[in-house]
Amino acid sequence: MRFLGTDRYYLNPELREIVNIAIAMEKPLLVTGEAGTGKTQLAFEIARALGLVLEEARCKSTFKGEELCYVYDTVLRLNDSRFGTRDSGRDVNNIWDYLRFGPIGRAFQAEGRCVLLLDEIDKTDSDTQDNLLDVLEDGSFIIREINYKLKAKQKPITMITSNAKRELSDPFLRRCYCHHIPFPDMEEMTRIVRLHYSKIPAPLLDAALPTFYRLRQMGFEKPPATGELLDWLGALQLDGVTRPVDRGRILHLGTLLKRAQDLLKYKSRESSGA
Amino acid sequence: MFIPFFQLLRDQGVPVSLRHVLEFYEALEKGLAPDPDRLFILLRLTCVKKLEHFDAFEQTFAAYFLDAGHGSVPRLTRDFWESKAFRRWLEEEVRRGAGAEEDLARLPLEDLLRRFWEVAVKQAGKHEGGHTWIGSGGTSPFGHSGSEREGVRVHGESVHRSALKLIEARRYVDYAATATLRAENIRQALAALKHMVPAGPATELDVEETVNRSSRNGGEIELIFRRELRDRIQVAVLLDNGGSSMVPYVDLVKLVFAKMRDQFRDLDYYYFHNCIYGCVYSDPQRRAPYPLHQLLRRDPETRLIIIGDANMAPAELLLSNGAIDYFSKLRVPGREWLLQLRSHFPRSVWLNPIPRSRWSRESATIKSIGQIFPMEDLTLSGIRQAVDGLNAGGAPRGYRGVREAKEKGSLPRSG
Repeated sequence: MRFLGTDRYYLNPELREIVNIAIAMEKPLLVTGEAGTGKTQLAFEIARALGLVLEEARCKSTFKGEELCYVYDTVLRLNDSRFGTRDSGRDVNNIWDYLRFGPIGRAFQAEGRCVLLLDEIDKTDSDTQDNLLDVLEDGSFIIREINYKLKAKQKPITMITSNAKRELSDPFLRRCYCHHIPFPDMEEMTRIVRLHYSKIPAPLLDAALPTFYRLRQMGFEKPPATGELLDWLGALQLDGVTRPVDRGRILHLGTLLKRAQDLLKYKSRESSGA
Repeated sequence: MFIPFFQLLRDQGVPVSLRHVLEFYEALEKGLAPDPDRLFILLRLTCVKKLEHFDAFEQTFAAYFLDAGHGSVPRLTRDFWESKAFRRWLEEEVRRGAGAEEDLARLPLEDLLRRFWEVAVKQAGKHEGGHTWIGSGGTSPFGHSGSEREGVRVHGESVHRSALKLIEARRYVDYAATATLRAENIRQALAALKHMVPAGPATELDVEETVNRSSRNGGEIELIFRRELRDRIQVAVLLDNGGSSMVPYVDLVKLVFAKMRDQFRDLDYYYFHNCIYGCVYSDPQRRAPYPLHQLLRRDPETRLIIIGDANMAPAELLLSNGAIDYFSKLRVPGREWLLQLRSHFPRSVWLNPIPRSRWSRESATIKSIGQIFPMEDLTLSGIRQAVDGLNAGGAPRGYRGVREAKEKGSLPRSG
C-alpha cells in the first residue's frame, strides 16, 4: 500500500515518504502546520488514492475522547423505558440498541482498513488526548457499560492534524509520528495553484506570487495563506486582468486580507509610500 | 549501527527513548530506509516529536553522518567544497579512479554532493558490524531535479531537494527552543496552575442522580445535570519583555511561559514594556499593537496574569505624559490603565520575577503596583498563592486604588 499523491493534491516528496512510513509502521501521523498547508486535505487524498473509507472526527473542545469511540444514549433509553419504544425497533433490554459509535468505533468495526482523521486535535484538552492514546495504540476500547472490549479488525491509517495552538501532551506525541508542514515555497505554490487553475496565464501567476509572499511577510494579524491566494487568483482570472497590481494598488485586496485591522494597516503603509 | 547517533541526539537535548530506538530498528527491518534520504526521514519521524527539536535533529544528523561538526552546517555552496569530510571523500573518489579532481570539479555541484551524501551516510551507518541497511540501488524519493522535466517553471533555487538540502535550509531554526530546561521547581509550580477551579456550564447528565430522583419521583423522569469537571479557563498573559531591567529575568520567565502553554483552553500572550498604556502587543517584538480596550472587552472571568518586574521610573507609572495613548491621544498615566485592567479582571495577578524579599529595596513602583494587583514572586509558594488568588477571584485584600478610582469615576473609559 503506497500513497503517491493524486491529480489534485500536490504532495511534497518528503511528506509522501512520511505518509508511507506511517502507513507501513501502523503509527498515527500527526501533521501540524499553518492553515492552508493541506493538513486535512491530506487524509482525504490518502483515502481517495488508496480507495479506502474515511472516518472523520472534527474535534471540539467539549470532546472527552470517549464519544469518538461510542456514546451510550442513556437519555433515550430512559425515555424509552418510561414511554415505550413504539415502532422504533429498539429494545429497551438490549443495550446495543442504545450504543452509537463514533468515528473511531466505526473505523475499528469496518471490515477493511480505513483512514481515520482526527482533525484539529489541539482543540481538545490534554485529558482527552490521553484518553485517546491507548485506544489508538491498542486498536481497541472498552465499552464500559457492558465491559465489552471492542477490538479493531484492522488498525486504521490514522491521520491527526493540529494547528499547534496548544501543545500536545508528551505521551501523546511519543506515540505518534509528527511532522510539521512548512508553508509552501514559491515553486511548490506554483504547482499547487496549477492543480486548481490549470489554465492560469503564467505571467499573471509569476507576478502574483511575489506580491502574495510580500504580503505574508508584512506581519498581519491574519497573514494570507493558500486559501486566500486561490481566492485572489480566482477573482483576478474572472476579471481577465493580466496583472495583479494596477498602478500600485493590489486588485481584489479583500480576498487576501480578511481583517479590517490588516486592511487598514496595509492601506496606511501604502499611503505612507512603504 | 546507529546507537551512537541516538546518544548524540540525547546529548543535544532531543529526548529519545528506548522505545523509539526499537521502533527505528523495526522500521529498518521492514526496509523502510533503502537510501540516505529515506533514512533521514525515518530517523526524524522516529526520534523527533516536537517542532522545537527539528533543528537540533538536523544539525546532529549532519554532524554524525557528514562529519560536519557542530555549529557548522554543511552548505551547498563552494564553502562545502572546502569542508574536511568532503575533501576526504573526494580524495577517496580520485583514488578509486573516478576521475581526476579537475574533472570531478567540473561536474555539477549537486551531482557531486549527492554522490558524497550517499557514500558518507552509508559509511556512517556501517560503522560497527556492518549492518546492511541500504538496499541495492534504492532510488532517491526526491528524484534528480525532476521538476524541470515536468515543465514547471522553477522559481529561485534548484528543485533538487535531497535531505542534505533540507538540512541546509534549516527550515526549523526559528522554532528551536534553545533555552534548556532547568529549575525543577518551576515545573512543580506550574502544575499548581492546573488547580484552577473549573467554571464550565452544567451540561453533563448525572445518570445515577437522575435515576435516584426519578425513582423517588414515582418514575417521572427528572434529569439532573452537573458541571463537567475540566479546565475551561481562559487566560491572558501580559509579559514584560523589554528593557534592561527585565533582561536578567527573561530566561526565567520564558521557562514559565513555555510550560504554561498547554495548561489552559484559551491562552493568549501579550507583550509590553515596563508599564501598560493604551495598548499591549501581540508579538514579542512589540510591533503589532493590540489596543487595550479590545482586551477589556474580553470575558471578565478571564484570568489575567501579568509577568513583569514592576520596576520602572515612577514617572512612567504616575505622570500623564509617561506615555501617550495609542489611539485617542488621550494622556492617561500608566497607573490608570492598570487600575482599569484590575477592575475589569477581578481574577488577575502580577507575578514578579524579583524575589519578594528584595521588593522594597528594588523600586518604589513595585509597591504602588502591588496596591493595584495582588503581587507574587515567581517561586513555588508565590505561584501557589497566585493560583489561590485567581481561584478566589475578587480582591481579597481590599485594593484601595480600584475602589477609590471607581468612586471618583476617574477610570479611563474603554473603547
